[in-house]
Amino acid sequence: MKKLTAFLLAAIACFSLIACQPAENERITIDFWHMAPVGTAAFAPTKAIITAFNESQDLYTVKGTGFSFWDYWDKINIAVSSQTAPDLGLSTLDDVASRAEEGVLYNLSELLAADPTGFDVNQFYTNQLEFATYDGDLYALPFTATTRVLYYNLDMFAAVGLTAADIPTTWTELYDVAKQLDIVDDGVIQQLGFDPTYGNATYHGWLWEAGLDFFDTAGNPTLNTQAHLDILNWIKDFNSEYTRNQLVAFGDANTMLGINPFASGRVAMMVETDGLYQTIREADVDFEYGVTTIPIPDENGVRVNWGSGFSIELYDNNDGNTAARQGAWEFLKYIMSEEVQIELATINGWLMAHKGAMATVAADDPITARLVEEVEYARDKIYIPYAPSWHGNDWQPYYTQFLAGEITAEQCLQNARNNYLQKQENYNATH
Amino acid sequence: MAKAITVKQLKRQENTAGYLFASPWLIGLIVLGIFPILMSLYISFTNYNMISTMRFIGFENYRILFTNDNLFWKSLGNTVYHVAIAVPLSIVVGLALAFLLNNKVKGMSIYRTLFYLPNVVSVVAMTLLWMWLFQPNFGLINQILKPLYDLFGMEPIGWYLDQNLSKITLILMGLWTSGGSMVIYLAQMQDIPTTLYESAEIDGAGWWQKTIHITLPLMTPSIYFNFIMGLIGGFQVFTMAYIMTSGGPSRSTYYYAYYLFDKMMADNAMGMASAMAWILLIIVLIVTILALRLNKYVFYLGEES
Amino acid sequence: MANAIKYKSKKKRKLIVHIILHFVLFLCSLVFVFPFLWMLFTALKTPAELLRGIQQFFPADPQWNNFLRAVQSIPFFMYLKNSLIVVVLVVMGTVFSATTAAYAFAKLRWKGRDKWFIVMLATMMLPIQVILIPTYIMYAKIGWLGTRLPLIVPAFFGGGSAFYIFLLRQFFKGIPRELSESAFIDGANHWQIFVKIMLPLSKPAVITVALFTFMGAWNDYFGPLIFLSNPEHWTLALGLRAFQTQYGGQYNLLMAASILIMLPTLILFFFAQKTFIEGIKFTGIKG
Repeated sequence: MKKLTAFLLAAIACFSLIACQPAENERITIDFWHMAPVGTAAFAPTKAIITAFNESQDLYTVKGTGFSFWDYWDKINIAVSSQTAPDLGLSTLDDVASRAEEGVLYNLSELLAADPTGFDVNQFYTNQLEFATYDGDLYALPFTATTRVLYYNLDMFAAVGLTAADIPTTWTELYDVAKQLDIVDDGVIQQLGFDPTYGNATYHGWLWEAGLDFFDTAGNPTLNTQAHLDILNWIKDFNSEYTRNQLVAFGDANTMLGINPFASGRVAMMVETDGLYQTIREADVDFEYGVTTIPIPDENGVRVNWGSGFSIELYDNNDGNTAARQGAWEFLKYIMSEEVQIELATINGWLMAHKGAMATVAADDPITARLVEEVEYARDKIYIPYAPSWHGNDWQPYYTQFLAGEITAEQCLQNARNNYLQKQENYNATH
Repeated sequence: MAKAITVKQLKRQENTAGYLFASPWLIGLIVLGIFPILMSLYISFTNYNMISTMRFIGFENYRILFTNDNLFWKSLGNTVYHVAIAVPLSIVVGLALAFLLNNKVKGMSIYRTLFYLPNVVSVVAMTLLWMWLFQPNFGLINQILKPLYDLFGMEPIGWYLDQNLSKITLILMGLWTSGGSMVIYLAQMQDIPTTLYESAEIDGAGWWQKTIHITLPLMTPSIYFNFIMGLIGGFQVFTMAYIMTSGGPSRSTYYYAYYLFDKMMADNAMGMASAMAWILLIIVLIVTILALRLNKYVFYLGEES
Repeated sequence: MANAIKYKSKKKRKLIVHIILHFVLFLCSLVFVFPFLWMLFTALKTPAELLRGIQQFFPADPQWNNFLRAVQSIPFFMYLKNSLIVVVLVVMGTVFSATTAAYAFAKLRWKGRDKWFIVMLATMMLPIQVILIPTYIMYAKIGWLGTRLPLIVPAFFGGGSAFYIFLLRQFFKGIPRELSESAFIDGANHWQIFVKIMLPLSKPAVITVALFTFMGAWNDYFGPLIFLSNPEHWTLALGLRAFQTQYGGQYNLLMAASILIMLPTLILFFFAQKTFIEGIKFTGIKG
């Protein structure tokens, strides 16, 4: 009994000690989710950025959690669905409108109106800002910018007597140059000049260059003009002198384990994202290369490429936590400032959305400068509510069938279009 | 003199014991399981888009799936095809492996571990490897079979690039993880009393007769188990097609669970995806209840009177 | 004399069978070992070699220090500790709740048993993806997010154990009824019969369940990803994902870490299956 009393008294003493700690200045915790988990090279520098912010003021403590790129989306989507989203997080720019419409994002225009020195809207690209706007207000900021360009291997050019002056700018030039760069040995393709399906080239990317698209301004599917057909056939016929088997063998050898045909020196020219530049640098390739605008149709061509990017958003969990919102806003201003943007670009190898920052980063790197130049002409894919993956799941199967020669171009476009129409019909029936 | 106990009291005791033993699982089901299950059922009657909108729309999702959705029937057909072939095949292979490895020859432990290795290796690594092995043009398998192709004057088999063979190719690849069912068969084989074999040998039975009349009948509990589990799991086939073929070529490997996944992740149509899930549950439930009838052919050593 | 000849030819036949067996097994095991070899070679490659994929199957200059680098890049031992905490508890919980439920289904007669059996099977028929968000919302509402509870507690209550319950039920049914009946007559209650007769006699099955549960929990990255919000609780399987970045990633480190993580399961399996053939010796019915 005595032992028990002593124990209880000791326990009470312990608890009261803990409870009676002098209250530390009550910093508000702000949760920020990003894509640099522990174990990546970018983790420590990202943490340093966050720590610098925490030490620069004493109202808020930002807690950063990084998830690997592939897991990040599962995590953020389920968090938003269950209203347990972080205070700040990254997402995709192209569907900001759908989230804004659902009321899960804080209105940044309002916050900016109350605090106009927050950031300079002019530092961002207008086409990106458009995607971040819903009903006239900003609900996200563009965080990164991606773009697609034509990579070319100068060593291969030189081997057939071509120089940088021969870099193609139109589809005809592209064809002529590419054919000079094919190397076939005993029926097996060793090197390919170019293929419109390789890398990150897409059918809609080629369509955009001809002023066409998958959908009209009202969101209805098109894909029903002769021009659509012509471009589709152009894509397939580019390397039509080789058999299907030869091309597939060459292509499959490239896709195993994600090796990149351009980086491994098997393709002379390829349409790829700015991300390839990072991969090439890390792999320390041994050939001369450069990037340029993707060639456009000879007539009425439009200089445009498919670029997207991450957005940075403040999530509204509908819990009335305005203190956290204010803290998130402060951190947003900090992370979107030029110095921090330069830092982020350097540690991640990303193209940031901040024009001023990228101008500095690109100053001594001609390839990055060229990439930044193309971002100006980048355009994101529109968001179609009844077919959010219109360029992916809803298009790829038909496209692959067509490329494999199992269906004709007409059938491909018709089937894809009918699929969109059916999805549209079903969507309208349930909404 | 001990107090007499009636049969009724014994039965009641057993009834209570039954509930007590099953209670951890029952409690778990009712407390932690009911909410998500019922909520997903409710979601199937809404147009939930995973963000926040959830409007009740009755049977619309179900109507659309059954009457206005091309891929619903295609994906269901692919899945049924897969189940019909993969389940019997994997039982045979699992049994074969177990027979091969159920002996006291030295080194069996190492072999058993090696055969189980594919179950431990990451699915992604394995799938990429199979993609390479089965590649029609330069994969190892077609290289090995080249003399055969030349002999018969036939085109190399297209494996997973041939829409008529893709499902079978995936099933073959799936057989690499037969180590799992092999382990269960091996465990079952340990429970067969050696006295049975001994008395059979005295009667002059050879290996084949021993297998047919002793081993296989006594293995029916685990064969039955692997059969039912094979059915249930088979209807949810998804992973390899996702990593390897993206449902192609020509949607030949686009399984029901894959379509469900796409509805959820690509279309944000959680309501529709939930409807698909519940339709699948009903189908599998019916198939399983029919399969459970086979229980009368199962010989439990503990049930003979 | 005839017997001696018979004996000798029998021995010779046994030897031939042995040789054929080893030959077949060796060939088959090459096939089964292949994926692992691939992982090993990938783990030993340099980034430049990775880029060349299958053109270069064997690493030219095996980078054994990739294993060290993999371990040093992530808080390996913290993740290891977390994995162990979760896995040990999950195995304990699953073995407990699955064996008890299986015993109820196999050997006891209680009202509604066969209907509940079908319900149990039905729990495996609903694809987990559609349950995920509702489950997450439920845990959010009861405040378990940010803890390890969502990963551990369900195991003690048969969560996700339908497979094992069914498996054990099949094995329990194989145990002769006379054993439990005679124990019952001697005054044993159901719990004693369960612990002293059922479990020991089903050792291979119980070990299989423990092994499979271990493997599942050890390799599970998705559960920890979704339900663990605190990175200090992350498990090894989840920590590995850091090696898969957006544009490919460090596959060599990923494979190296994956191999390290595979080892405990393999070792456990090796020892577990040894107990199978050793069998159960006891007087009475079995040999």
